[in-house]
Amino acid sequence: MSDPGQKSMVPGVLRAGSVASPAHADGAIFEFLAFRLATETYALPLAGVQEILKPPYITEVPRSAREVLGIVSVRGHVTTVIDLRRRLRLPEPPIDSRTRILLVAAAEEVVGLLVDNVLQVYRLYEDEVEIASTVGGDMNEYVMGIGRPRAVRTLGRSTSHERENVADILILLDAQSLLTR
Amino acid sequence: MRGGDDQDSVREEFLSEAQEIVETLSRDLLLLDQAQKERRDDPDLLNDIFRAVHTLKGLAGMFGMERLQELAHTLENLLDDLRLGRVDLTQETLDVLFEGVENIQRILARAEAGEDDVDLTGFAEAVDRFTEAAEVPTGNLDEYELGEHVTSVLTEYEEHRMRTNIEQDIPLYRLQVAFALASIDTALEDLKLRAKPFAELITYLPSMDGDDDDVISLEVLLASSAELEELRDVLCGTSGELEPVPRKQSARRPTMVPEDERKNPQSAPKKAQPRAQAGPVEEVVPDRGGGADALSLRSVANSVRVNIHKLDHLMNVVGELAIVRSAVAQMIEKIREWPELRSLSAELHRISRSFERNLEELQDGILDVRMVPLGQVFDKLARVIRQVARDNGKEIGMTVKGAETEVDKLIVEELSDPLMHLIRNAIDHGIETPAQRESRGKPRQGTLRLVAYQKGNHVLIEVKDDGNGMDSEFLLQTAIARGLINDDVSRDLGRDELFNLIFLPGFSTTETVTDLSGRGVGMDVVKTNISKLGGIIDVQSEVGVGTTFTITLPITLAIISALVVKLGADTYAIPLANVQEALMLEPAGIRTVEGREVMTLRGGTLPLCRLDELFRMQPPPRGRVNKQYVVVSQLGNRRLGMVVDSLLGQQDIVIKALGRSLSSVRGFAGATDLGDQHVALVLDTPQILEEVLASVERAKFVEVTT
Repeated sequence: MSDPGQKSMVPGVLRAGSVASPAHADGAIFEFLAFRLATETYALPLAGVQEILKPPYITEVPRSAREVLGIVSVRGHVTTVIDLRRRLRLPEPPIDSRTRILLVAAAEEVVGLLVDNVLQVYRLYEDEVEIASTVGGDMNEYVMGIGRPRAVRTLGRSTSHERENVADILILLDAQSLLTR
Repeated sequence: MRGGDDQDSVREEFLSEAQEIVETLSRDLLLLDQAQKERRDDPDLLNDIFRAVHTLKGLAGMFGMERLQELAHTLENLLDDLRLGRVDLTQETLDVLFEGVENIQRILARAEAGEDDVDLTGFAEAVDRFTEAAEVPTGNLDEYELGEHVTSVLTEYEEHRMRTNIEQDIPLYRLQVAFALASIDTALEDLKLRAKPFAELITYLPSMDGDDDDVISLEVLLASSAELEELRDVLCGTSGELEPVPRKQSARRPTMVPEDERKNPQSAPKKAQPRAQAGPVEEVVPDRGGGADALSLRSVANSVRVNIHKLDHLMNVVGELAIVRSAVAQMIEKIREWPELRSLSAELHRISRSFERNLEELQDGILDVRMVPLGQVFDKLARVIRQVARDNGKEIGMTVKGAETEVDKLIVEELSDPLMHLIRNAIDHGIETPAQRESRGKPRQGTLRLVAYQKGNHVLIEVKDDGNGMDSEFLLQTAIARGLINDDVSRDLGRDELFNLIFLPGFSTTETVTDLSGRGVGMDVVKTNISKLGGIIDVQSEVGVGTTFTITLPITLAIISALVVKLGADTYAIPLANVQEALMLEPAGIRTVEGREVMTLRGGTLPLCRLDELFRMQPPPRGRVNKQYVVVSQLGNRRLGMVVDSLLGQQDIVIKALGRSLSSVRGFAGATDLGDQHVALVLDTPQILEEVLASVERAKFVEVTT
């Protein structure tokens, strides 16, 4: 959890779901796991992601909401898998070898979120994060902000594969509002 | 290990245990309040409350919750004065006790938030006002020829109980019994239990005349307002002798107790002498003073309180192990194909079998731990019955059989509401008033019987009353009048089916809405609750003779037998408890009635439900040429044939709940891991039946009214 004494422009919602350490003079560092959905790059606070799974056989649940892909068993626990692309009304590329399920702890249960592929963890300083309300425009309610990583730090020497996985804009999602509906 | 988490979980454990105690306390206080209003003395209840507060004090001390410990201590003092009769139990004292429990709750709530700031000074002062005014009851022990060997060894509490009984003019009896040394604990418990409804057991002392080393003679002192003969019948089953304690001639009228004795009831020289009198059998004399504490310490050592979710977790692990086992078995099969590894594969096979056996034992063991006796619910019901009968001006005796029958803890929890409802109904509508009963030549006192027994993998519970019974014709007319069934249908109903009309939603036969039942929430809710547990409820009744409800429940919810079926590409499990039979679908035998598919099964009409249509699944590519099957399910007297694509066989499954995000999806009781990495949904057959048939009945209803 973050240091309560620290002055910060970052609202509680961001702090609550992320690991912040006052390691840098510029302020807190937030860790995000970035992943691809259709053509966009999204990210969730790393602390909320319990595990990344390759999709096992997903059992469809008749009569469930459209975005529910089905259920899987994760070490004996029946876990609901939600297609993030459907929830965010994005196109749905077919499931392939890079498709992953992120296990995310929501308020009352652990839910699996299907994403097209997982990129990397970004460590963002406070000044690299714009809060949704200040960005303005017609933002989706699940979006808590925009991350603009300074490419220098995340890159270093890069292979072509890494370059492909690097994004200059991350859409930061709020796991709680994504899952409590 | 993460220390923080450990501490949190320990704290959580404490809070949940404390909460449990508080709940018991509130319940017992209500009962005490009831007893006080009826001017009834209930020393056992008061003792229970005292002990609960005492336990709470100990817990609070262990977890360093000083304020709670302090509060419990204050309450304990007051309760001690109450049970020793130094303070009278009045509405005012009860108010303070209730306030005390509220304060405990407040402290716990704050503790959960990590705070400790409840102000108790005002409360402590209120309690002090009572404890300072403490007095001793005046019943005079000298009224009876108790003998020095008795009066000198009574504890303060026993003496108080004796005085109270004398004060209330309740005669004292002396029972001489002999118990085998080896079984004295259980024999005494049994005696207490038998005596309880009739008499208060004040104390028991070893008496002098034991010749046999293996036998102990006890002198038991009882206070009872029952007749001597009746008491003899109850108590003397065990080779005992019962006689009234002789009264002293002169002391019939209560006399004043000398001042110094009143101030200090312990001043009698009892502490100095008693041990010597007890003689050689001293070790087995239960020490009544510390008895309660010693007893509770022992029970803590022998049993462990476990959160049911931890058992669920263990069950999950066992399920995972079963999957590992089948993977290993497959590997062994592969190894078998290598001739040069034959001895190795034989050895592996042997090990795997032993693994399998142990795994089964582990699974059975965990299931066994989840089992609790139904007596837990029955006890609660007994209290309710007494109260409801009193409130209702009816005389009701209750008999219980099979209280030791065990079922899964979760089932017991969910069972108390439906049973309560049945019993309230029986008292309210079933059993007549004493006057009515007499005029019908029945005993004044009505009887409610609770009978439980195991039958195969099920437990049956019967709730029987010897009341008015139900008139099937009247039920039918009511159902028709309320538009619940239509006239045509009613002609086909058999006698048993008529009684089952009471389970229809909206059915309530009471003309007057009473405090107890007839508030619209009726038997349909009972039925739904029972179905949720995978059970069924049935009713039999005869006018003038009585009504019997029979509830059939699975023994455990954790593991059930299921029929595994295929529907399109997916696999589903149907609990076998809800399956009557499965047969091949004859397309030629399908008829359409009111737009619904039905078939004929042994002369009866069976409505069909195509599950793929119900679930709005993608139409299968194969068309409808393949063989299909019908799984016949029955709930009460209603049947439904569910059409599936194929039957894969029977399997024991562990049902796991679906996540909260799927709680609004109807028709599934959960999911299960079939062991081949595939998760299968478990059908909630009662719900599907309800859904499909309700829409049929609604359709009929519309027809009737338009």
